[in-house]
Amino acid sequence: MKLLNRTIRSYLFYSITILLVAIPVFYFVVKGVLLHSVDHSLRTQMREIRKNLDAIQSVDELQAWAKMDKDIRLTHADRVFDDKIYTAYYADAKRHDEDPYREIAGCITVNGDLYSLVISNSLVENEDLLGSILLVQSILLILLMGGMLLINRASSKKIWQPFYKTLDGMKKYELSNHSGIEVEKTPVDEFNELNQALKQLTDRNYVVYLNQREFTENAAHELQTPLAIIQGKIDLLLQTEPLSEEQVKLINALEETNLRLAKLNKSLLLLSKIENNQFSEIEEIDLREALSKTLDQYRELADARKINIEEHYDNDLRMQGNRVQVEILLSNLVMNAIRHNVEGGEIKIEIHSRNIVIRNRGANEPLAVEKIFNRFYKSGQDSASIGLGLSIVKTICDRRHYAIAYDYREGWHTFTFSPDSN
Amino acid sequence: MKILIVEDEEELLNSIVSYLQGENYLCETAKDFHTARQLMESFNYDCILLDVTLPGGNGLALLQQLKAEQKTDGVIIISARDSINDRIRGLDLGADDYLVKPFHLSELNARITAIIRRRRFEGHNILVYHELTIDLSARTVAVANKMIDLTRKEYDLLLYLAYNKNRVLSKNAIAEHLSGSESDGFDSFDFIYTHMKNLKRKLMKATNREFIKSLYGMGYKFEV
Repeated sequence: MKLLNRTIRSYLFYSITILLVAIPVFYFVVKGVLLHSVDHSLRTQMREIRKNLDAIQSVDELQAWAKMDKDIRLTHADRVFDDKIYTAYYADAKRHDEDPYREIAGCITVNGDLYSLVISNSLVENEDLLGSILLVQSILLILLMGGMLLINRASSKKIWQPFYKTLDGMKKYELSNHSGIEVEKTPVDEFNELNQALKQLTDRNYVVYLNQREFTENAAHELQTPLAIIQGKIDLLLQTEPLSEEQVKLINALEETNLRLAKLNKSLLLLSKIENNQFSEIEEIDLREALSKTLDQYRELADARKINIEEHYDNDLRMQGNRVQVEILLSNLVMNAIRHNVEGGEIKIEIHSRNIVIRNRGANEPLAVEKIFNRFYKSGQDSASIGLGLSIVKTICDRRHYAIAYDYREGWHTFTFSPDSN
Repeated sequence: MKILIVEDEEELLNSIVSYLQGENYLCETAKDFHTARQLMESFNYDCILLDVTLPGGNGLALLQQLKAEQKTDGVIIISARDSINDRIRGLDLGADDYLVKPFHLSELNARITAIIRRRRFEGHNILVYHELTIDLSARTVAVANKMIDLTRKEYDLLLYLAYNKNRVLSKNAIAEHLSGSESDGFDSFDFIYTHMKNLKRKLMKATNREFIKSLYGMGYKFEV
């Protein structure tokens, strides 16, 4: 649940509760007040009548008066009783309904005779008034609360805006680029603090990341010299005489291993250089030309394994990129197609309008798509491969936003490279 | 011929000296910036091998100084750094060659020999082994004034073997020399056999002498 909705929900809950409680309470209070004032006026009327009784000469006069005013009823009473006030309902002929009346009943004495006098007062108008007041009141309350909610929602949205912006920035943040998180200046202290803390965090992480990268590069550099020493000693060992067959075998094994180590180290260096953005010059590259150049370098190797390379260049494909990187990328793909091919196999290379497709024969089963671009992943038992070629390809593609995809169909392993990832 | 080797790593220095002495080069060594500078100021060398990272200073500064004094010593930079920029910078400063560690001693020797020969015998640069003559300027090979038709790869191969004559060269060293830095991804050097076979056949046919010996399991040797 969004924070905005969460705060608003509490307000809404409170408002509805108040509304539900306030309306009935209000109804009964107003009703009570109105009733009280009716009662008061009834008692006053009764008192006035009693005060003016002396002016009345005969019972007939009184009866006539009662007849004139339909709100007054006069009957003979048997005994004296106290005044009482009550609500009564009388049918209304016109509306076929019962209307509420408030009545006061009391005793009066005219010329020594005891009479019961009832004064009644219709409550219909009171009820109407009550209804109107209630309606107005309800509308007012609803407007008030609704307005409050809306205003709160709008202002919250505005207040939280920098937060959402920061959040968005964090989602887009990439450690390797360290473009920094774009934040909005805000008058809210908490958000400013958050942004500041975030900046410190990313800065610290970036420093650690840089150190790590630097370490990889330095480590690989430092390894070059010992590798050179070993290579030199092996070269000298090979010149010593006499050499037995057993010694030659040992020397060869040493040389092979050292060579592999040197290659591995070189690949690691290359990877860290790509990650350290050491290939920054951008120029226009004719991919057809670059591909031909790459193929020329590897043709001998393919020939040695009797692999046939078919080229279909139907389109010219140009791209903006770093020449060294693109050449490394292409030669790793071509090398890969040769290395994992079968003796006497085939390679098909196609240039389309938007991508380059390199297909090769090889193992009759698809490679593990999610792993092939990982560092040091090797398919099968190929110990000569160091497992960095495709990961270098992937690193270049990630850095430059190129697309690389792998697919397997009917014995063909296909790599598709698109300079434009869209 | 005199060579100065500037390298702070003792064991690498020893190996280089040991290999080059076998080629009858007179080797002097310097293990830090200041020794190197003194030697370079006082003497002239046919070739200087220069490491870039040295105790006491940067090898490239030595190169700059050398060029400022208008000395003509040949210079090969031997460096652990192999970025294009480092390479270009070294060559721009006037180095003749740039070799990245780790390297084969035979490769180093071939490059030193090439530089010295280029400097010493500018117009008339010819190697002679018995009846075989290699004209380095024209890049041709002849036997008794009769040209032997070699491909570019075969010529490179012959030159590499000749520069390291009477040395055992492993097939890895040969493959790396032939393919240059592209050999990184290679895990089979089968392709050198074809070149080697053709070269041997052509030389045999022209001279009837076995210049190139295959040493089973070890590599090849150019024997004179």
